[in-house]
Amino acid sequence: MEQRQLLSGNEAIARGAWEAGCGFGSGYPGTPSSEILPALAELGDCYTEWSVNEKCALEAAAGAAIVGARCLVTMKHVGLNVAADPLFTLAYTGINGGLVVVSADDPSMHSSQNEQDNRHYARAAKVPMLEPASSQEALDFTKLAFEISERFDTPVLLRVTTRICHSHGVVSVGERSVKQPACPPQPQVAKYVMLPVHARQRRALMAQRVASLRRYVESAQVNRREAGDPAVGIISAGVAYQYAKEVCPGASFLKLGMTWPLPEQMIRDFAASVQKLYVIEELDPYLAEQVQAMGVAVTPLPESLQEGELNPERVKAALEGSPPGPQSAPDLPARPPQLCPGCPHRGVFMALHRLRLFVTGDIGCYTLGALPPLQALHTCMCMGAGVGQIHGINQACGAGQRAVAVIGDSTFVHSGITNLINIFYNNSPSVVIILDNATTAMTGGQDHPGTGRTLHGGPGRKLDLAALCQGIGIRHVQTVDPYDFKQTQAAIKAAVERDEPSVIIASRPCVLLSRQRGRPFVVDEESCTQCGVCLQVGCPAIISSPTAAGRRQPQIDPLLCSGCGLCAQVCPQDAIRQAGDTA
Amino acid sequence: MTTNVLMAGVGGQGVVTASAVVARAALLAGWEVKKSEIHGMSQRGGSVVSHVRLAPDGEIFSPIIPAGEVDLLIGFELLETLRALSYARRGAHIIVDPRRIPPAPVSLGLAEYPDDALQRIQEGDYQVHVAAGTTVAAQLGEVRAANSVLLGAASRLLPLPAEAWQQALRLTLKASIVQVNLEAFNRGREFVPQPAG
Repeated sequence: MEQRQLLSGNEAIARGAWEAGCGFGSGYPGTPSSEILPALAELGDCYTEWSVNEKCALEAAAGAAIVGARCLVTMKHVGLNVAADPLFTLAYTGINGGLVVVSADDPSMHSSQNEQDNRHYARAAKVPMLEPASSQEALDFTKLAFEISERFDTPVLLRVTTRICHSHGVVSVGERSVKQPACPPQPQVAKYVMLPVHARQRRALMAQRVASLRRYVESAQVNRREAGDPAVGIISAGVAYQYAKEVCPGASFLKLGMTWPLPEQMIRDFAASVQKLYVIEELDPYLAEQVQAMGVAVTPLPESLQEGELNPERVKAALEGSPPGPQSAPDLPARPPQLCPGCPHRGVFMALHRLRLFVTGDIGCYTLGALPPLQALHTCMCMGAGVGQIHGINQACGAGQRAVAVIGDSTFVHSGITNLINIFYNNSPSVVIILDNATTAMTGGQDHPGTGRTLHGGPGRKLDLAALCQGIGIRHVQTVDPYDFKQTQAAIKAAVERDEPSVIIASRPCVLLSRQRGRPFVVDEESCTQCGVCLQVGCPAIISSPTAAGRRQPQIDPLLCSGCGLCAQVCPQDAIRQAGDTA
Repeated sequence: MTTNVLMAGVGGQGVVTASAVVARAALLAGWEVKKSEIHGMSQRGGSVVSHVRLAPDGEIFSPIIPAGEVDLLIGFELLETLRALSYARRGAHIIVDPRRIPPAPVSLGLAEYPDDALQRIQEGDYQVHVAAGTTVAAQLGEVRAANSVLLGAASRLLPLPAEAWQQALRLTLKASIVQVNLEAFNRGREFVPQPAG
């Protein structure tokens, strides 16, 4: 085994959990957390699963922890909203086997709908929190998190951000030591049954635990002072520390690894040793406000620093009190992400666009259906929300609304099912289109109950989406092929005109998954009238150049074309044909 | 002394794979290395940049390169190279594939592709090496090996041993495509003159 490895933060977390003897790993894929569990699965000798959602993942882990298994639960920041319910009470019951919850936050929303700062969760739920600043720390802190978890009988939050998860660094790795679970489970009613009478006892025990943690953190090695110029003192944690260190290598540092509870005395001592104290942190002034609440003076920084991901330039500008310079030449055309050539979602969005429907949606590759030229998705709030919103729209406006919901297959299982039951139960004439591409595409193609394969790629039980919807009681459940434009459009049109709930399952595997490529299509420039209809398909393979007449001549890039043929189906002149075919 | 390499291109061009090869070559050479890029939404045909920072010894702090401190910019596409240019220091090496991939707003006629992109890159205070990665890769029958052509060119400018590059390619790529990528890598070396001394 190579002792020096190049690992991403996510791989290092998996490695740390594995070395700590983790026996149970669960989670739901979400950028930037998605690579942790597959890496843990690959290391082997540890049960891992994609759970249906983050709440399921944490609750299953809570069970495994009762019998003493060490558990790692992974999710992106918004996933912790879904898992917040068990987390807050798990902090009361305690865990027995070490339980570490990874929250991967996404400052700047590279792949998210908001940039909430999940450090607040640690404080609100009263669970200790560690924040690694490099891949090596990701490994070391994960191991430490398991130790703290068991020593204090509490779940531990390991809070990371996109730049930690997806940055690679050189890491020294170690060996694995395993602790066997103690089966069968033994009842401990006062600990695990949170009746008010027990919960009040546990609340008092939690206060004692927090007091112990406050003593522990004062001498924990995970927080360290780095001697430097006493004129400038910087308190920082996570990747923000790296940026501060990059631009102010000579300053004095208090580098925090554990950011709840905070080492109050250590902070006071550090503040007293420097002339000017700065707190450099990404997103909310979480540390700064707590330091100020101790009565310690913190040099104010511009509020704009709380928005978006930091980088060395922003930190430098803030410390120097100067505005950061522009980061890119402003006159260049943007390159927004797009649905891939051959994406099965495209046929559905083309139909929705042509039918001029209002479309409620949520998170996934299909959110890109909101962008020009398709512009056929009009809401994206959180996982499953579109299926709730369509019901609300129909109830508030009355029947006959030209509106539908779309939701991906993995997302439907994650949090669409309960909203569909709500539609059925409340007799709502709502149309729900399940975009079933047989994977969790946006996060990198993870399996889920609808694919019938587990995290290990092995066979699992396959959830039958159509049977599920019928089982709920929905009478109109139709499966269509989104590559068949006419069929797809007709099914949507019929469903919208119906006065009762309908589900359409647009079924076709993700092109990145199936890797199926047909012969590429070509534009016959003699038949083409440059009407521009094919450009409205929004396919990256269809490029165009201006003509002398002020129109645009489309062409199809044979390297990009997947051969899906949607453009050919909508071309009014039949000018798009598969290479090798004759007119 | 840290060397900063920035790679810029379009999702699907193999930017992240190429940066993994550089980082792995540095690891095999016993160097310190950090590398960073963004996954997810930004890779669906959008702009992709990958930062790689290498040092023969000592500590590297930020995983992303401070603006104006890029020593070597590897551009996989003209517009994306131009977009990343402000990150390069004066006198930096720029390896650029003169390939154009029009973004959606250009195809829709909502924006113009900067036809003078290569000229603007060449006019700057940089040492520009035009490397026809896509063309060479197409000649080799595997257009996806364009990134290895660019890496071959980069290998002339980064002081990592030849064995480390080859081993890194073998360890990073699927076995079935290693040979064509090694060939592409060697062809890429021709695009940068032998450094003096």
